[in-house]
Amino acid sequence: MQFLKLFTPVFIAIFLILSDYKFSYLDSVKQSIAKLISPIYLVVNLPSQLYIWVDEQGTSKQALLNKNKQLSGEVVRLKANLQTRNALLLENQKLKQLLGASYQISDQKFTLSRVSSVSQSRLKKQIVINKGSNDELEIGQVVLGPKGVIGQITQTTPLYATVLMITDPTQYVPIKSQRNGVRGISKGIASNQGNLVVNFIEPDFDVVVGDVFLTSAIGSKFPAGYPVGKVTHVEQHTDDPFLHIELTPIQTTEQLEFVLIGGSD
Amino acid sequence: MKTQRPYIFLTKITFFALIISALPLSQTVLEASPFWLLLFFIYWLTYFPAKGRFFLALLLGVLLDILQGDILGQNALALILSSAFIVNVKQSFFVSNLSTQQVYVFVASSIYLGLFLLVHTLIQGFNFSYYLLFAPLTGALFWPLVKLVLSKCKHQ
Repeated sequence: MQFLKLFTPVFIAIFLILSDYKFSYLDSVKQSIAKLISPIYLVVNLPSQLYIWVDEQGTSKQALLNKNKQLSGEVVRLKANLQTRNALLLENQKLKQLLGASYQISDQKFTLSRVSSVSQSRLKKQIVINKGSNDELEIGQVVLGPKGVIGQITQTTPLYATVLMITDPTQYVPIKSQRNGVRGISKGIASNQGNLVVNFIEPDFDVVVGDVFLTSAIGSKFPAGYPVGKVTHVEQHTDDPFLHIELTPIQTTEQLEFVLIGGSD
Repeated sequence: MKTQRPYIFLTKITFFALIISALPLSQTVLEASPFWLLLFFIYWLTYFPAKGRFFLALLLGVLLDILQGDILGQNALALILSSAFIVNVKQSFFVSNLSTQQVYVFVASSIYLGLFLLVHTLIQGFNFSYYLLFAPLTGALFWPLVKLVLSKCKHQ
């Protein structure tokens, strides 16, 4: 009897591990329990929310006017950049049509969200954002920062969503070099805080320190063209048929306050 | 003073432990921090008589797995087996002095960490930060504080 008391929950736990790893039929149960325990994030974020509220209340009129002026200038600058980008996009699509290619750049709608907290798991690198299924966010959507890709939504609750970052060792991102289009797959390094490693690039290819890698959209997991990381180390090991390439992510979570969430195309 | 009912007390401390586990910390501090839910559960196992302890460990572990986005059952398995160790030494734990209790907590946390990393390694490979290995030590160091706080909260 004592044996059963201990081993029944042990077997259930092993069953849960295997079913979560191999299948996805427990996802709906996970989502329901996640909704149930989401108020915990509400409590955890209460002090920071309170700080933001007090900070906003305490901001003077002059500071707001200055901020407004600065942001208006930024909007004008970005609109000017957007004109160039739109012209290039149009030209690109015309060329694609001329070449008969089927690939089209999609127009994406983005949702703005605030970062609630960073990494509460020992083995996963993730952030929690303050928008969830109530704001029509879904699992699989891509999350971007002002400088580049941050990650992908892996869990949603009505009020919050969890984003698995590209620096997590289980997050594989198809990438290509901005300079010469060399393709590889990046993933995080658990033992090296915040860095990435690039797999499957053969020694014949030209990769140098300082190269920037972008998302390549192979596998349709991430949209193409967003900066992922900059090469900090290239090495060839004698026992490895591929180059050992390390990247520093372009977008880090330090001082990251807002993120954009777009659909995966 | 009246001692709180076991399951009500467990609900309260679980909520508290989950909040502490979800606090935003830097990655290094987070990795080396104690297994809070285990520490709280050890206290409850030792000082409260209850039935279905291992099923409760399963339930609490699953809650933590979902909260932290870990593999479902990973924390649950670790919590069940480390609780089994504490249940096994419960009599001795109860009468031991604080230092001996810290040794027991260290062993229970090491079992927890071992199983936690075993599941991770089997599924995702041997790839983790070595700061994680400090978790049993910090757990043992924090035990006196956890014990003090929970013993104050135990009475209504």
